[in-house]
Amino acid sequence: MTPSGHGRHRARTPRRRLSWSPGPASFAGFLALALFFPSAAGPPAGATTSAADGPDGVRQIALEAGSAPAAAAAPLRVRIPSIGVDSPLAGLGVDDEGVLVPPGDFDRAGWFSGGPVPGDVGPSVIAGHVDSQDGPAVFFRLRDLVAGDAILVDRADGTTARFIVSATDRYAKDAFPTAEVYGPTPDAQLRLITCGGSFDQDARSYLDNVVVFAHAN
Amino acid sequence: MRRVLRASAALLVAGGVVAGGAAQARASDETGLLRLAHLSPDTPAVDVYVDAVADPSARITLEGVDYGTVSDYQDVAPGTYTVSMREAGASPDTPPVLSTTVDVSADSARTVAGVGLFADLGLEIIDDSLEIPPSGQARMRVLAAASSAETLDVSVAGGAAVASGLAFADTGDYVDVPAGSTTLQVSAGGGAPTDLPVDLDAGAVYSVLVLDDAASGLTVQPVLDAAGPGVTPVGGVETGAGGTAVSDVPVGALVALTLVTGGAAIGAAAVTRNSRSRHARRP
Repeated sequence: MTPSGHGRHRARTPRRRLSWSPGPASFAGFLALALFFPSAAGPPAGATTSAADGPDGVRQIALEAGSAPAAAAAPLRVRIPSIGVDSPLAGLGVDDEGVLVPPGDFDRAGWFSGGPVPGDVGPSVIAGHVDSQDGPAVFFRLRDLVAGDAILVDRADGTTARFIVSATDRYAKDAFPTAEVYGPTPDAQLRLITCGGSFDQDARSYLDNVVVFAHAN
Repeated sequence: MRRVLRASAALLVAGGVVAGGAAQARASDETGLLRLAHLSPDTPAVDVYVDAVADPSARITLEGVDYGTVSDYQDVAPGTYTVSMREAGASPDTPPVLSTTVDVSADSARTVAGVGLFADLGLEIIDDSLEIPPSGQARMRVLAAASSAETLDVSVAGGAAVASGLAFADTGDYVDVPAGSTTLQVSAGGGAPTDLPVDLDAGAVYSVLVLDDAASGLTVQPVLDAAGPGVTPVGGVETGAGGTAVSDVPVGALVALTLVTGGAAIGAAAVTRNSRSRHARRP
């Protein structure tokens, strides 16, 4: 699903699976097929039926799954024009402790491949280093992003998912807002994560994470 | 709340200014989510009006909402809203057939649903879950909107019952269920269950609508309420090696240093302090 150019309020813009209008005609047609031709060469994609006579007169229980959305293609690049970021994306996973493993390359951002693909429903996550031991890294200027800035994610099928920043905030790592970052969302969203705050020289680690929250444009 | 400091400032003052900044709540762009559902089998299509009590000019209108429809979520500012339903096409000036008020708080989601038969039509306010399901599981509930099924039993193969004897016009509680390609078992009025194949994504939240169809049968329609990662990473991310961080040296020490290293350095220190004070005032 490619986000199209509508705003956040999409009251009258049908989205996949639910809409104001599966037309009554096509709906009735589907049901007629399901009821009277259950063994027809194949029911419509996504629809499955079988008979079950209930004592209260229910004749048939049928699944109306809607058209299953094609999974979005894997993300290849992230581009953030306002801070000069244009980076290929590596896939990121979690380690044995369940912690997100950062990109191995300081100059490349990475995408958490255990989460939604950018542009699919849910919070997709891209992480990148703020600096290496030598100087600035790919997400050095992430903290400069402000509400309204654009983030573009190019995908393997040639499409681009477009997001708009809604907020940029910093959190202590020991109070990381897991629910806000990874919690289920009803629409396509994106989080960009890097480090910030004070650097603990002994632990060689920043104390905070900077998180950019964005939603599909 | 204070926003993140700009990079130019952090270069010089990371230790001094930023150290006091503890975790900050995400205060900007906080909205709640509200959606509408028409779950009354014999009620004609309606136009739905959502008005903010605090700001009557902010109206959301959903036209021609018919039975079985669950709208997209609307992002709304936290507050109290009036939800009014009129017959489709009726003038907004006419008295609504039904109306209710609903409170929406930040980072929460609610559904206002027209439920029951037309003669007994009510508007139900239903809380929707945006909580993270247990690792590898999905979360599901049933909205019983089929008048031909006095009660419903719904379960996911290998999982706990999602609905047991759920009466028409009622909403079941969310239940965590195994994710993946699985079978939804649905029976009406205590009859024999029907197996329906479904794909449930780990980390996702579903409402299963059970609707009357046109021929005294039932239509089962899983609606994706929200989606998230199947496995949620623990904690934050180690995304920096410190190459641009400055050790936690008090500015006073920098000034003392300049006193012993000569005039050129004094100028540099002045720039440093100006930079710090300028950025420290940033809201």
